[in-house]
Amino acid sequence: MSSTSVYPTPINAFKQSKRSVLSVIVDNEPGILARIVGLFSGRGYNIEALNVTVVDIKNNLSRITIETLGEEKVISQIIAQLEKLVPVHSATNLANLSESYEAEICLVKIEFDNNEQDQKILNFADIYRSRTVQKRQNIVVYEISGTSERINKFLDDLNTIGGIKVELVRSGPIGLGI
Amino acid sequence: MDNENEFTGADILLKALKDQEVDTIFGYPGGAVLPIYDAIFGQNFLKHVLVRQEAGAVHAAEGYARSSGKVGVLLVTSGPGVTNVVTGLTDALMDSIPIVCISGQVPSHLIGTDAFQECDTTGITRPCTKHNYLVKDVSKLSETIHEAFKIASSGRPGPVLIDIPKDVQFAKSKYIPKKDISFREHRIKAGSKNVDKNFVQELVNHIKNSERPIFYVGGGCLNSGPQASQELIKLVNKTNIPITTTLHGLGCFPGEDKSSLGMLGMHGNYEANLAMNKCDLMINVGARFDDRVTGRLDAFSPDSVKFHIDIDQSSINKNVKVDFHTNTDITQTLKEINSFIESNNIELEKKDYTNWWGQINDWRKKECLHYEQGEEIIKPQHAISRLYDLTTQKDTFITTEVGQHQMWAAQYYKFSKPNRWITSGGLGTMGFGMPAAVGAQMANPDSLVIDIAGEASFLMNIQEIATAVQYKLPIKIFILNNEYMGMVRQWQELLHGSRYSESYVDALPDFKKLAESFNAVGVRAKNVSELDDAINEMVSIDRPVIADIWVDKKENCFPMIPSGAAHHEMLLSKYDKENPENQEKGKVLV
Repeated sequence: MSSTSVYPTPINAFKQSKRSVLSVIVDNEPGILARIVGLFSGRGYNIEALNVTVVDIKNNLSRITIETLGEEKVISQIIAQLEKLVPVHSATNLANLSESYEAEICLVKIEFDNNEQDQKILNFADIYRSRTVQKRQNIVVYEISGTSERINKFLDDLNTIGGIKVELVRSGPIGLGI
Repeated sequence: MDNENEFTGADILLKALKDQEVDTIFGYPGGAVLPIYDAIFGQNFLKHVLVRQEAGAVHAAEGYARSSGKVGVLLVTSGPGVTNVVTGLTDALMDSIPIVCISGQVPSHLIGTDAFQECDTTGITRPCTKHNYLVKDVSKLSETIHEAFKIASSGRPGPVLIDIPKDVQFAKSKYIPKKDISFREHRIKAGSKNVDKNFVQELVNHIKNSERPIFYVGGGCLNSGPQASQELIKLVNKTNIPITTTLHGLGCFPGEDKSSLGMLGMHGNYEANLAMNKCDLMINVGARFDDRVTGRLDAFSPDSVKFHIDIDQSSINKNVKVDFHTNTDITQTLKEINSFIESNNIELEKKDYTNWWGQINDWRKKECLHYEQGEEIIKPQHAISRLYDLTTQKDTFITTEVGQHQMWAAQYYKFSKPNRWITSGGLGTMGFGMPAAVGAQMANPDSLVIDIAGEASFLMNIQEIATAVQYKLPIKIFILNNEYMGMVRQWQELLHGSRYSESYVDALPDFKKLAESFNAVGVRAKNVSELDDAINEMVSIDRPVIADIWVDKKENCFPMIPSGAAHHEMLLSKYDKENPENQEKGKVLV
């Protein structure tokens, strides 16, 4: 959409598709996740990653973290739509806070054949300070946490080692404002 | 032993409805709601209106709500009962109509087993309700019902559904009255009560400095209550600013008033659309920049500063970027604007926008709603004009179906009060008008209620004529019969080389005989000389009437902004040349 206002609006601010992490506090009740996921699919928004857990048992609250892609205008609309849902207390774009922190956790299972591979894997695991969860003769499971970018980089590096088999699971980013 | 303070779920529902001052419920019985129907049998505060199909119940509840300002209530059974109301719930969501739908569900222990007449009601209705509930515990029932009514009617109103399994209808618990419930604010989303003083000041400053201002008023003004309309009239009179309304805004401001430019948008008035295109200040009061209103977005009102008052935060900057907005109630906001002008002795009267009104009056000279009525065949526009002239002395409620007749009704029937105009705007639901008329007549037993219909739409919910007859509701169905799905035919003519694929309605019933077979009354006008008599006869009969008005089969609805075109590119008649490039772009739009 172009600016239709006499007050100039920088076009680029509206056109650029950005990664945003949204933090949503909701009443923990049946159907709430379906409401949120349905809102995204029904209105054509993206979900790159999603995480849901109860965070306050006493007040029965869950925190949902959603990683999404969209122009700034779309992200504002997503926030407004989320806040219209009855069980939603608040929806925040972490990028709009003056200070916020993000982390993701990833479990990686690596199968390898030889010592050379093992050494390379150990080396990367050491550089990224990943924690060994389990190690067998030719199988190792690491736990790595940090920003999604950091995990991506670790996985990219692992992929430079030929002949190994990698299986992984990621939590998706979670974040907190301060 | 039974505790006398405990009631069955069905009785709790009835107590809650009484507590909510519900006096009318539209419904259709079935296996999963029998306990509730048993409770209805043994009481007398609640009038149950038995519809002929559940779609009729939901549109009737919408008509009831729109014409009364109260929450409309309906009761349907599980499975097909509730899937039949999905269209109506979506309609109410799109047009912000407060309704509460109670649906029965199979007993809790059978949920998930594909039991007889089971469906995932909350799953199916989640995207088409403002909120919905499945009540699994009878002790939560009272609170759920009261919250449902609160949510349906607060903030931007909408439909709420409560699904109650049959065992919960039998189970017993205490009843908690409305007054003992403390609502949680985050769930009600009523909008801010405090009007934004900066917004008001900024708006008044802009009014003072503008040369070409306009009010653009939508259904939100209606939903804020009749007082919003009073405040709006006061503000328009004080400022002498021209005002245009959306389809749902009709009636918020008197249509015959000199400041009114009529409806805007796809079939809006030439002067209204041109004024929107050329204005330097746009004051949006409860409208949502719908695609039917804006036309092509990149050419929408390019030179204006835009103010937007809307209780719904998600309406702000959704389609059109605005410069100033507030999410407060319209009545409160307009009141604040009026009192700001008064208390600061701001003399807006002196600023009478002479040039602007001169320009608008030049546009008015185009007489965009002009039509030529010959001596024989009735022009549909003429039929509505005559209907208006012959019923304007009464307190008349107009409902419509969807299509050409709906647009002609919006153009030629003038409304002077809010809540008199009940139409399906956002969803465009054919078959809406007749059941909506049933609902409007239930809410306004002494008023004249007319469904302006097309023959194709009318056939979609024709069964409800039996409901009108059973409850002695003297609704009038005024059919502009052109034997076509007229709006489909018009688009095929304009965009698809006049290839009238499947838009001719062959094998129509004889509507006069059809009326008689339902024990209603049928009247007919085949030509101009019979029209007034048919209208007068229709109005004078105190029973449901179907008036079959034979109109020109080839008439099109103008003015028109073709899809993909801008406000200043409107067609005034079919002889206006359309830009072929626009035509190709428009074809892929709706």
